[in-house]
Amino acid sequence: MNVSIAAQSPPIISLQNARFSYEGGVEALRGVSLNVARGENVAIVGGNGSGKTTLAKHLNGLLKPSSGKVLIGGEETSTTSVATLARTVGYVFQNPDYQLFCTSVSEEVRFGPKNMGFGHDDESALAERALKLMGISHLREQSPVSLSLGDRRKVAIASVLATSPRVLVLDEPTTGLDSVESAQLMATLGVLRSEGMTIVLITHDMRLVAQHMDRVIVMSEGRIAFDAGVEEAFSDPDRLKRCKLLAPPITVLAQRLQAQGLLTEGATTPLQLVEQLVRVRGEQQ
Amino acid sequence: MTRFEDLYTEADTFLHRLDPRVKMASVLMLSLLAIIMSALTYLLVLLTFIFVLLLLARSSYRKTTFAMKFVLRFMALIAILWPLFDPSGTPVLIRLGPVVITEPGIWRGLASAARVGCLATVWYILIFTTSQRDLVRGLVKLGLRFDFGLALAIALRYFPTFGTVMDSIIDAQRSRGMEFEKGNIFVRARKYVAVLGPAIVSALKTADMLALALQSRAYGARRNRTYLRELNMRPSDYVALVAALAMFIVPAIAKYAFSIPI
Ligand SMILES: Nc1ncnc2c1ncn2[C@@H]1O[C@H](COP(=O)(O)OP(=O)(O)OP(=O)(O)O)[C@@H](O)[C@H]1O
Ligand SMILES: [Mg+2]
Repeated sequence: MNVSIAAQSPPIISLQNARFSYEGGVEALRGVSLNVARGENVAIVGGNGSGKTTLAKHLNGLLKPSSGKVLIGGEETSTTSVATLARTVGYVFQNPDYQLFCTSVSEEVRFGPKNMGFGHDDESALAERALKLMGISHLREQSPVSLSLGDRRKVAIASVLATSPRVLVLDEPTTGLDSVESAQLMATLGVLRSEGMTIVLITHDMRLVAQHMDRVIVMSEGRIAFDAGVEEAFSDPDRLKRCKLLAPPITVLAQRLQAQGLLTEGATTPLQLVEQLVRVRGEQQ
Repeated sequence: MTRFEDLYTEADTFLHRLDPRVKMASVLMLSLLAIIMSALTYLLVLLTFIFVLLLLARSSYRKTTFAMKFVLRFMALIAILWPLFDPSGTPVLIRLGPVVITEPGIWRGLASAARVGCLATVWYILIFTTSQRDLVRGLVKLGLRFDFGLALAIALRYFPTFGTVMDSIIDAQRSRGMEFEKGNIFVRARKYVAVLGPAIVSALKTADMLALALQSRAYGARRNRTYLRELNMRPSDYVALVAALAMFIVPAIAKYAFSIPI
């Protein structure tokens, strides 16, 4: 998406000093403010219990802020039902087993569009498209429960995609997937993104963040510790450590090489590192 | 999360310290007493006594009100409905076509409400003051087979977990546009298939893993097991047991041997 247009149009997600406490008394969000523009690609990272899932559940109204505001597409979530918000925001739960209940994959994928009252034809078209995007068209007739974790997760994502949301929120979608499956999933997210989807990804895998995301929101103890582009976010090891995070290995390597005077700039992906090395050698010759 | 919470509250009262076997026996005695009594006055005395015990249990305010709300509502329902269906005796207070309400009917309704209040509250006190572990241990000591006891303990232990899972499943389906609040009762009931399906699958998976985990820690290697902390009756336990037995037996003899109307 064109950056200047993105900057002009109102943010699709906007939190204004949102606070939230669970019934037991834990204050899980302590004043969170952020804006996400249409088509942006945002990672939410942070240690266990830092409030990532709580934040994500505010994005489709499953949780409503106890104070402050959450606006999705300009509408305040506290006065909008989850069913209405679900048309804008698709939420993929961490555990696919919490949503699969139909006897076939295709039925499962049509469940969302059916709830939203798309006509039968649209329903089929949306379901087919979602199955194809996730590369599971061949599993159509199978029972979701009997599939492998990787495939179950794909079905779960397809079943959310089929509701044609404008924002996709994924809570740790790569946990338990092998590296090929993860890479495939990230590639699919890339495709969605090129079609203008706004993506919010919660993950503990900093390599995926470095490779595939543009912006990193780091949560710590219910607050946003910092919110930056990938390179800047990983640039300060001490700051990361305070938030219980480690930079991806490539970034650490690049930082060490920089310290040795072998590199002039940092890097977050293998490709960047190689480019830097090639450039430095070119300058030396 | 309140729906599936464990009602036990950790505290150090004489009710908490009582041997679980004594507590179960006492609760049983008080229940039997409530069942055999029929005079409203005595039932109200018993109810007051049980409410005092409830206060002494020092259970969390939230859990107590949560449980007692049900009990009080149920009592009110019985007190209101009973006279409508039990019109025997005189004087007749109201006669409206087929509906006859008599004064004795009203007293009997109140007595039944008090009886149900006694029964429900006394069992709640047991749950409020006895950890699930102690309950199960008491039952095993009383002769329940150990593996049944373990099954019971596990079931109780997983109840809240299962509640959390149900909440997550409901959230996941709501995220796909499902509206549980819409439609008549049959439509709504059908919607719960989308919750029960995943819930049952996840419960079966958990049970499967749990069985493997138990086996890999040598469960079943010996028929009988030893305990880190044995249950031992203390003098105070015997005193409580005798008191509870007397509280049932004395009124029972008075009522059935000497025909004293209590
Ligand atoms: N249902 C709940 N009831 C009470 N407290 C909760 C509940 N869910 C989360 N919390 C608490 O809220 C805080 C934030 O939890 P949250 O699940 O948002 O963290 P997270 O960043 O997603 O962690 P993780 O990386 O482990 O998934 C934690 O202290 C957690 O214990
Ligand atoms: Mg989480």
